[in-house]
Amino acid sequence: MLPQYHIKLVEGDVAPYVLLPGDPKRVEVVASFWDEAHKVADNREYVTYTGVYKGAPISCTSTGIGCPSTAIAMEELARVGAKTFIRIGTCGTFQDYIENGDIAIFDSAARYDGASHLYAPPQFPAVATHEVVSACIQAGKDLGYRYHVGTTRSADTFYAKHSRPGSSFNDFWQSDWQYHFEDLKRLKIIAGEMEASVIFVLARVWGLRAGGISVVLDNVLKVTGDDGNFDPEKDIAHGKEYIDKLSIMGSEAVRILFEEDQKKS
Amino acid sequence: MLPQYHIKLVEGDVAPYVLLPGDPKRVEVVASFWDEAHKVADNREYVTYTGVYKGAPISCTSTGIGCPSTAIAMEELARVGAKTFIRIGTCGAYQDSINIGDIGIFDSAARYDGASHLYAPPQFPAVATHEVVSACIQASKNLGYPYHVGTTKSADTFYAKKPVGYSFNDFWQSDWEHFADDLRRLNIYFGEMEASVIFVLARVWGLRAGGISVVLQSAFKSEEKTKDLGKYDPEKFIDHGKEHIEKLSLAGSETVRVLYEEDQKKDQ
Repeated sequence: MLPQYHIKLVEGDVAPYVLLPGDPKRVEVVASFWDEAHKVADNREYVTYTGVYKGAPISCTSTGIGCPSTAIAMEELARVGAKTFIRIGTCGTFQDYIENGDIAIFDSAARYDGASHLYAPPQFPAVATHEVVSACIQAGKDLGYRYHVGTTRSADTFYAKHSRPGSSFNDFWQSDWQYHFEDLKRLKIIAGEMEASVIFVLARVWGLRAGGISVVLDNVLKVTGDDGNFDPEKDIAHGKEYIDKLSIMGSEAVRILFEEDQKKS
Repeated sequence: MLPQYHIKLVEGDVAPYVLLPGDPKRVEVVASFWDEAHKVADNREYVTYTGVYKGAPISCTSTGIGCPSTAIAMEELARVGAKTFIRIGTCGAYQDSINIGDIGIFDSAARYDGASHLYAPPQFPAVATHEVVSACIQASKNLGYPYHVGTTKSADTFYAKKPVGYSFNDFWQSDWEHFADDLRRLNIYFGEMEASVIFVLARVWGLRAGGISVVLQSAFKSEEKTKDLGKYDPEKFIDHGKEHIEKLSLAGSETVRVLYEEDQKKDQ
C-alpha cells in the first residue's frame, strides 16, 4: 500500500481514535501530554503523531483551516484505519453566558460550509455521534472544566459575515451580514469555528464516529469592540493554558471511548 | 389565561414531559399504560391526556400528520409549560439491518419539511437533545427492545418522492428515481413526517426534544412490492399489529420516567 496522497500515512500508522486540530504546530503540543508519542508523517498542513494516552491508542492529525482540507484528511485517515474522529480546536461563542476558557462540546453543527454540501444535501444534519458526545461530557466532568453542550456554526470564513464593516479587508461588507451573528445567537448556536460540519457529515455517511470539543477564545458579537475593527492578534485570547486544556480533554475523551469500547468487545 | 387557540389547554393542564404521537386516537392508547390518566382537551387533531407513569408526571398530545400542525402544537404546548417533547410514532426503515418491530431512536433529522425552514435557515441542524437520546436508549434497554440510534428523514410527504404507483394517477418526477437509494447511502435509518420541526423548535427555544418510533415497513420492500403490483397499498404493505403501538407507548412513557428521575437527582 502506497502512502495516502496528502497525509502520507499507511495502514498501521494511526490508531482508531484520531484527534483533529487545525494547526499543524499544535499536534506536537497535544502529543506532549501522552505517555508515548512519535511523529509518523509531516506533509503540507498534515502532521500526524501516534502514541498511547493512559493505555489508549491515540493519534492526532492536523487538518489545516477549513472544511476542504479537513475532508481530505478524513477521506485518507478513514482509508488507513481511523474509526473515531474528534475535532479539537478553538472557537468563538455567540452566547453571553459562555466565557473565554470555557469548553464547548459540539453535538451538532450548522452547515455554513461548502465541502459537506458536495457529499450530502442541505437537509442532512451535521450531528455528532451520541457516544462520542457522552465521552466528551464525561471528560469535561472528570477534569472539572466548565463546559456547554450545543450547536456550533461551521463556516467557510473567518473574516466575513461580521455585523459591521471592519472585519474584512478594506472594509468590504454586505448588507445581509448585519444581523447574521445576532440571528445565530437567537438560534441558540453556542460556538463558531470552521471544521466541525464536514467532520460530522462524513463520519455519519461512512458509518464512523465523530465529535468535537473546542475552547472558547472570544465572544464573536463583542470581539470587534466599538469601532467594528477585527484584529484577531489582539482581540482573541491566546493563552497557552487554553491549548493545554484542549489537549488534555481531547485525550481524556479518547481514553473514555477506548475503555467503553473494550467493555463492549 | 384563555385556552391556547388550537390545543385548548391552559397552564397546569400539561406535565413538563409531553409525548407527541400523530394520531389523535392513539393518545388514549398511550395513556392506558399510565397509572393515572385523564383527558384534558380534544379539539381538531389535538387530543391531550395528562397523568402519572410510575411516579413521573406525563402528558400526551397528538399533533396530526406533518410538521405544520406539529409546529402549532409545540408553540402552544410550550406556552402552557411543556419543557421536554418526545415524538412517538411509526416509521419506515432505509437500512436492511433494521427489522419490523424494532425501535428507532432519532438523534437527528434530515429536514425535508417546510415548517422548520420558516424558523431556522437550512444550514441549521435538526438534532435531538443529548440527555433525551440517552433516556430513550436507557428506556429501550430497560424494556429489552431491540433499538437503533440514527438519523430520520422527516418529509412533508407520504406518497411523493417514491416510485411510480405511490402518488395518485401514477404522477411521478424523474428526480424521484434514486431518492430512497441516496437516503440509504447517506446512512439515514428512518423515514417519518414530524421529527425535524420538533428538534429545530426545541433547540431554538432552549427546550428539550427526542424521538422514538417503531418500524412498520422497509422502504425498499414496499417499493419492490409497488413495482410488482403497480400500486402502493399502505393498508397491506405496512404492519399494523397492535403490539407495535403498545411497545411504542411503553418506550415513550419509560423514557419520560428515566428523564424525570434524572431531573429529580439534578434538583437535589
